[in-house]
Amino acid sequence: MALLVQGEIVSHMERAPGVFMVEFIAPNLATVARPGQFLHIRCSEGNDPLLRRPISIHAVDRDRGRVGILFQVVGRGTALLARRKDGVIDVMGPLGRGFSTGSHNLMRAGSIAVVGGGIGAAPLFFLLQELARCGDPARVKVLLGARSANQILIKEEIENLGYTMELATDDGSVGHRGQVTELLLKLLPEGVSYVYACGPAPMLKAVCAFLSEAGIPGEVSLEERMACGVGACLSCACQVKAAGGGVHYRRACVDGPVFPAGEVVW
Amino acid sequence: MINTTVNLGGIKMKNPVATASGTFGFGLEYQQFIQLEKLGAIIVKGTTPAPRQGNPPPRIAETPAGMLNAIGLQNPGVNKVAGEIIPRLVHLNTPVIINIAGDTVEDYALVANKLDGVPGVAGLEINISCPNVKKGGIQFGSDPRSAAEVTRAVKAATKLPVIVKLSPNVTDLVAMAAAVAEAGADALSMINTLLGMAIDVDRRKPVLGNITGGLSGPAVRPVAVRAVWQVYRAVKLPILGMGGIMTTRDALEFILAGATAVAVGTANFVNPRATIEIIEGIENYLREQGFNNINQLTGLAHAGI
Ligand SMILES: Cc1cc2nc3c(=O)[nH]c(=O)nc-3n(C[C@H](O)[C@H](O)[C@H](O)COP(=O)(O)OP(=O)(O)OC[C@H]3O[C@@H](n4cnc5c(N)ncnc54)[C@H](O)[C@@H]3O)c2cc1C
Ligand SMILES: Cc1cc2nc3c(=O)[nH]c(=O)nc-3n(C[C@H](O)[C@H](O)[C@H](O)COP(=O)(O)O)c2cc1C
Ligand code: FES
Repeated sequence: MALLVQGEIVSHMERAPGVFMVEFIAPNLATVARPGQFLHIRCSEGNDPLLRRPISIHAVDRDRGRVGILFQVVGRGTALLARRKDGVIDVMGPLGRGFSTGSHNLMRAGSIAVVGGGIGAAPLFFLLQELARCGDPARVKVLLGARSANQILIKEEIENLGYTMELATDDGSVGHRGQVTELLLKLLPEGVSYVYACGPAPMLKAVCAFLSEAGIPGEVSLEERMACGVGACLSCACQVKAAGGGVHYRRACVDGPVFPAGEVVW
Repeated sequence: MINTTVNLGGIKMKNPVATASGTFGFGLEYQQFIQLEKLGAIIVKGTTPAPRQGNPPPRIAETPAGMLNAIGLQNPGVNKVAGEIIPRLVHLNTPVIINIAGDTVEDYALVANKLDGVPGVAGLEINISCPNVKKGGIQFGSDPRSAAEVTRAVKAATKLPVIVKLSPNVTDLVAMAAAVAEAGADALSMINTLLGMAIDVDRRKPVLGNITGGLSGPAVRPVAVRAVWQVYRAVKLPILGMGGIMTTRDALEFILAGATAVAVGTANFVNPRATIEIIEGIENYLREQGFNNINQLTGLAHAGI
């Protein structure tokens, strides 16, 4: 059940060049939100740009009734959103099927890998908050990748939750020089039993291929363009494997955005 | 007491606001935001004889004050719609209108026939104007003789009220309206989306997987109001007006141009409560302007012209 919220903005920060973190007050939303779910956010007050923009729930502070988003400016909608420093933000949510953080995942023997590429780190922080609350951070390995050191997001916050992490950058300015997926490939044989990933499509494609080869389960969060965000318009179709063989379209907004890694058709 | 009830070709609506086909799923998706019972009518997604997968993504692109869509009539097929989906809506005290589509005249007649007598179906809206499928759809919507043929076949296949949905992508909309009126349509709905296209300049490729798509949203409103205005003057059938309605005032434009009722489409994506706000807004307008019956407004802008 999604809510329509006019949340009062309580903090606004540019966390990396062109990447903004906004926190707003929404106690009911904070209570019901699950990691991997997203918000559908209105960026303009008028009719242009018209549609809402899907943005993941980045962090939740249930005690203070606050919800945070972390987003990168890539076009008009996100640019308008970045300019809104106070007042209210018009959000619909929580929407979609998020990461499964049930005990069946946390009880598995072995470790859990959480892999983020670029702005894909955004929803993973909420996931890590939840895993820290009901699991053991020592069993979780966080792998983050970005173009360059100044685009590595929320490193300190993740460390503060008690996680260890490894970094990869395209230019080698911090951590491994290369792709974050190379870190994952190295880690997989070391007893990884479950993987959560979010990032650009080529990265997720590689993650799914590695997991399938290694026979390790996991889940990935996909991005599709969305209009309604609630399953009504069929705009956000993505191809997944059907139960009885073959492929069919599912709606990223309600059947996802998180899908089992083995089901996604690339 | 203000009377907001309207009669759309035999479909009785408690207020003049419906949801536009394809933008409201089967209604159930929006129950979390509004009471479906408050709506004048619910028009559900285009239904075809067999299930359809729809077009490859990306299926939408945003354009100035509007959007292009090329969903491609993805739907579970008439058997599933009649057997599994309509039963979930049957308890509603709101008419449910099924939008139907096909590749051939026989397809339309078949779907119409299968829906005839299904409890919970108040009427059919024939989509002869979908710009996003290869065959059928728009083809019937651009030739008055084919449009009349589909209309006659559907009328013969069902006792339900039949609304024919017209495409704006034609040279002479009035001729189309006259042809389907002559063939027995009970009401007209207009407009479906305008054929359009967008190109991604960075990738140097069309944005949509289907290359072209249908334009909707505020950008098309003037075209839609004009369509209702012209058809109202020429054809004596009730009109369901739509195209870019976001607010009460937008809806009133259509009614004043000649629409008996209106449908809200793209606006649902932006504001899931748009329909309810418009229903309340129309009532307030009537009260404030001293009218006691919504039907007094239909076509009022034509007075003296
Ligand atoms: C479930 C979900 C969660 C998301 N979470 C976040 C998040 O936490 N932080 C964040 O920064 N971004 C997130 N995104 C991506 C974000 O929605 C898009 O960046 C945003 O809609 C772009 O809007 P715009 O008006 O700024 O850009 P536009 O002008 O609309 O587009 C700019 C560029 O971005 C691409 N684009 C537009 N919409 C999407 C989309 N839905 N998915 C992928 N690419 C798109 C376009 O093709 C274009 O190249 C998420 C997307 C989804 C589907
Ligand atoms: C995503 C989407 C899907 C649609 N699907 C259908 C459809 O299946 N059948 C149909 O007759 N019209 C369909 N339409 C057209 C709408 O019903 C309506 O005629 C049009 O969008 C104009 O109204 P609007 O500007 O308020 O959206 C669709 C429109 C959109 C945006
Ligand atoms: S965005 Fe409308 S169905 Fe997913």
